[in-house]
This record gives sequence, structure tokens and C-alpha cells, in this order.
Amino acid sequence: MIKIDKATKQALLDLYKSKKIALEGNILKVIDSDGDEEFDTYVKDSIEKDKENRRKRLDITKQIQNKNKELLEGEVEKERVNLELVAALEEAEESKKEAISAKEQAELAKEEAETAREEAEVARTEAEKSKIEAINAKNLAEGDLELMQKRTQFELIGTIVKVALWVILGVGVITTLVFMIALFAGKDTAVIGSTWSNIIGILLTNSFSIIGTIMGVKYASSDKKE
Amino acid sequence: MIDSILLVDDEDLFHLVFEDACSLLDITLSLQGLNSSDEAEGLFRKWFNEGPVDEKPECVFVDLNIVGSSFDGIELIRKINFEYGNHVVIGIISSSDEPTEQAKAISAGAQFWIIKSDDIEPRLEEFRKDYDGYKNRTNPFKVYK
Repeated sequence: MIKIDKATKQALLDLYKSKKIALEGNILKVIDSDGDEEFDTYVKDSIEKDKENRRKRLDITKQIQNKNKELLEGEVEKERVNLELVAALEEAEESKKEAISAKEQAELAKEEAETAREEAEVARTEAEKSKIEAINAKNLAEGDLELMQKRTQFELIGTIVKVALWVILGVGVITTLVFMIALFAGKDTAVIGSTWSNIIGILLTNSFSIIGTIMGVKYASSDKKE
Repeated sequence: MIDSILLVDDEDLFHLVFEDACSLLDITLSLQGLNSSDEAEGLFRKWFNEGPVDEKPECVFVDLNIVGSSFDGIELIRKINFEYGNHVVIGIISSSDEPTEQAKAISAGAQFWIIKSDDIEPRLEEFRKDYDGYKNRTNPFKVYK
């Protein structure tokens, strides 16, 4: 403990009385008032005042500490939210990139589909053209076939006509020869004469009938072609 | 009353809190505060190698995580106890209540663990009551919650 001389005690007491300035801090706890009641009261009051000041400061410091703690927690929370925002932003960027990529792919697919459609259109046109060409070829072939058939028919008809004409002419000549021989030989010509006239009549009739038939066929064929 | 205390903590505001609490509770009349474990190690090295030994504090409170220091509070306790002569009551004062850290502190020679909070005074008062047991090394490690 520290003992203080009388003059210093008085000086401290006077200072406290006139200016309200007192000793502070732990030094007060080691001062021995040495039986001086007035100084003892001064020391005790000063200790109480010091404790009161310290209590106030302690409360304020604790409040500041709490505020600091809250600020730090706020900073941590802010940091966390910032990180979340950055992550969300990155995710959005990623989604945007994916959307752009998907759009590009869709556009590419659309272009490919358009190309395929155009190719199909070209193929269809070509197929149409080929079909027309095939139909034309078919028609041409059918025409050729018909022509060949007609030619064959005409040739056959011609042959028939020639043969028929030869047969008619032959029969007519033979009958005429037989009738002339009979006339010149002086034989009975009653039967042969009527036969000859009948045959000539039939032959003529048939000849015209054949010619008529041929002409009719020819005419009908030319109409069908038109 | 504890003769002298050394507080090693990076938080300046806590120095004020601790000083006022110690004064109000009449725990000590002499309190020295340091902000880094390197500074504290330097002092203990000096006292150990050169002296004067009587300048050494009687009790040391060390924060667990001391920002801006090259090692933490547990390592400082280990150095003081095993490299610089021990002879101080030493422990941790931290807001952490991790059993694994407390186990490390015990192995480093810590005698107590005081949890920092708004209401530090009741813990310091309880510590003051137990102090003699720490001084004569009869008290086991204790966590003040």
C-alpha cells in the first residue's frame, strides 16, 4: 500500500473540491489513507466513481463488440448472398449459352429440313418429268406397236385381197375357158352358161364385197387413229 | 487478487472489456495487453534468456486464433510451457468451444479455457475463485462456459 503525505492529500482534496478532478484507476486501490477520514472518503468516492465509469465503458464496449459482431455476420451473409448471386448469374449464363446453342441447332435443323424439302421438291419434279417421259415413251411404244399391228394387218389384208383376187380371177378365167370350150365345141351350154353367169355374178359381188370390206376397215382404222 | 496478468488477443475491443472487467472484479491491478503471439513469445524468450524473471506475469490469458500472428494460442502456450520455463498460470480465452481444440490445449499445458461472450464477468469471477488451485497446480483443466 502507498502512504501519501499530508500536503499531497490536501492538494488532492483541494483539486477535487475546486475542479472535481479526482484520481482514477487501479492506483486508488493501493493508496493507504492512514486514518485520515476525509481522504479515506475521497479515495472511496474516487474508487466508486472509477468503477461507475468503467462499468459504463464496459457496457459501451460490449455494445460496440456486438455491433461489430453483427457487422461481421452481416459481411459473411453478404458474402454468402454475393456468392449465391454469382453462382446464379453463372447458371443463367450457362442456360443462356445452352439456349443459344439449342437455337443454333434448331436453326441448323431448320436449314437442313429446308434443304431436304428443296431436294425432295427437285426429286419430285424430276420424278414428274420422268413420269411424263415414261408416259411419252409408253405412248410412243404403244403407237409403234399399233403401227406395227396395223402394218401386219394391212399386209395380211393385202395378201388376202391378192389371193382372193387371184382366186376370183382364176375361177372366172377357168369358168370362162370352160364356157368358151363348150361354145366352140358345140356342146350343150345351157347348164354351163347359167353356171358361168352365176359364178361371174357371185365373183363380182364377192369382189366388191371384199373391196368394200377392205375399204371399210381402212377407213375405220384411220378414224381411230385421229 | 492476481499480481499481474498478460492478455494476448488480436481484438483491441476485448482488451478494453477485459481490463474493465478485471478492474471491476478486483482480479488484478496490473494488466498488460499484447496483440500478437509473436510479440508475447519475444517477451517470454527475453525473460527466459535475459530476465528479469520478476517481470514475468503471474497469469496469462491467450486467445485461440490470433489474427496476424505466425502461430495460434495453443502453440504459444506450448512454447511458454515447454521452451520458456513455464511458471505461469496459463490458459485460453476464446469464443470457441471445440473439444478437439481443448484437447490440444491440454496437451500444450493449458490449465483453463474461458469462453468469451457478452457476459464475461461471471466466468472471470469463477476463475478468480479457482485461481489458487491453478497457481499451486492442484486444479484440473476446466472450461468456464
